[in-house]
Amino acid sequence: MSSLSAYNSHITNELAVSIRGVGLTYTTSIDKKPTLKSRVKSLGRGKKQTRVVRALDDINLDVQYGHVLGVIGTNGAGKSSLMRCVAGILPPSQGRIEVYGSVSTLLALGVGFNPAMSGRDNVFLGGLAAGMSREEIASHFDEIAEFSELGDAIDAPMRTYSSGMYARLAFSVAATVRPDILIIDEALSTGDAKFKEKSLNRVKELRSDDRALILVSHAMQTLRETCNDVAWLHKGKLIQRGEPNAVIDAYQEFLHLGKSAAIDEDV
Amino acid sequence: MSAPLQVYEPFRAGLPKLGRYWKSLWSRRTFIAEYSKSELREQHFDSVFGQLWMILNPLLLSGVYFILIVIIRGSSDSARYAHLTASLFLFYLVANSLTGGVKSVTAGQRLILNTAFPRIMLPLSAVVIAVFKFLPTLFVFIVIKAVVGSPFTWQMLWAIPVLLITIFLSLALAITISCVNVYFRDIANFLPYLTRTLLYLSPVLYEASTLKPSLHALEIFNPLFPILDAWSQAIVHGEAPQMSSLLQSLAWSTGIFFLGTYFFLSREREFAVRL
Repeated sequence: MSSLSAYNSHITNELAVSIRGVGLTYTTSIDKKPTLKSRVKSLGRGKKQTRVVRALDDINLDVQYGHVLGVIGTNGAGKSSLMRCVAGILPPSQGRIEVYGSVSTLLALGVGFNPAMSGRDNVFLGGLAAGMSREEIASHFDEIAEFSELGDAIDAPMRTYSSGMYARLAFSVAATVRPDILIIDEALSTGDAKFKEKSLNRVKELRSDDRALILVSHAMQTLRETCNDVAWLHKGKLIQRGEPNAVIDAYQEFLHLGKSAAIDEDV
Repeated sequence: MSAPLQVYEPFRAGLPKLGRYWKSLWSRRTFIAEYSKSELREQHFDSVFGQLWMILNPLLLSGVYFILIVIIRGSSDSARYAHLTASLFLFYLVANSLTGGVKSVTAGQRLILNTAFPRIMLPLSAVVIAVFKFLPTLFVFIVIKAVVGSPFTWQMLWAIPVLLITIFLSLALAITISCVNVYFRDIANFLPYLTRTLLYLSPVLYEASTLKPSLHALEIFNPLFPILDAWSQAIVHGEAPQMSSLLQSLAWSTGIFFLGTYFFLSREREFAVRL
């Protein structure tokens, strides 16, 4: 695992992420909270405790530097699972993922794992866990605090934050450390209009800076404006990938019709 | 400069590559330090009254148990009080590691779902926190020992290896229980009963030498028994502990450590889908 310090020179169109034949199958417990009690109670009844989830199925995708890839799909399509695979949080069950650079993730708002601690502590802890050094985080911290517009609230416990403040801080962290590859999972839609505008600008800035971005979003208009490429996932399969307008149109048509030829195959 | 390449491929059952795991753990050692610091700060251990409480709490606790002993036995002496406090403080190092460790993984859910890092850092931090809570109580004990006029000898230095083994044992237990709690979330609810039972089975409220011969099985089946006995021998009585106690506790710790760590490391890659 490498640090997040950015390697500044990237050649546009150089490969950033290569996903080859990736599949992900995992077993998870049926109960939200598996307990010993429920296990003992169901002893001998042959009740199943776990179910197998097939989250991703033979996905092939490339992301180049200087490009923005949008990922769309209905809930449960495997978008977040794919992002977690790219970030190295979940190892794939099949296939191979190659990542050429450092990855910063903003998956469902990563910072703030301990709500009792202040925003400042959480930023430091999140960064340290991601493999950054104390000095690295300290050098970015002022910029993070300023970008998030939290003011004095940065030293208040995170449980006192509103969801907007949460989102702003999370986005600021991910976008300020300037990783080679930035993954943003449904974080752009939070925050007020002003902050949304600001974060969109930052995304565009990062793109022109020759970094690779992967945006997971339900905000189709944003994707049309910012992405070079859009990939549409459905039930763990890659349905279509290509020019944003074409893919998004197809996806929106699918949403209204409820099914399409490509999806009916092989169900 | 070319960017570093990382490859993610399917893993087979069993352990991750230990060399690489260790390297990535070592590079994040500041996380463990920082995490413990913020956790202690959050519990107000950086303020005067917070620190006072850190000393007052174990003192009150030992006071309560002392009353219990006096009432049950009908008599008591200062040496017994020294033994009680020393053993109780060390016992609470293990107990705090367990209570801190049990939820360390499940409470780190947000971090686990969003960041790739060696998960073992979480129970490790819990033990570091427990050690920091233990250190001031050690000074309290030294003061008590001086007040009751218990002898200070060079043999007391045996307490250092004993303490190191206890920390190792705490770590082994914390790693194991944090992993078990991912699969059975109610373990955390059982834990108070477990630690309470362990306390009564260990030579804390009584001395190991006063135990009835028929109860000697306790010495064999309680991992905490030999280490607490050795601790009392060294730090309270100022004598060298029996080598067999040290070896026995080391064997317990190593066994639990390898078993728990194997369990943890081979499972940690699926924690993200289990939380």
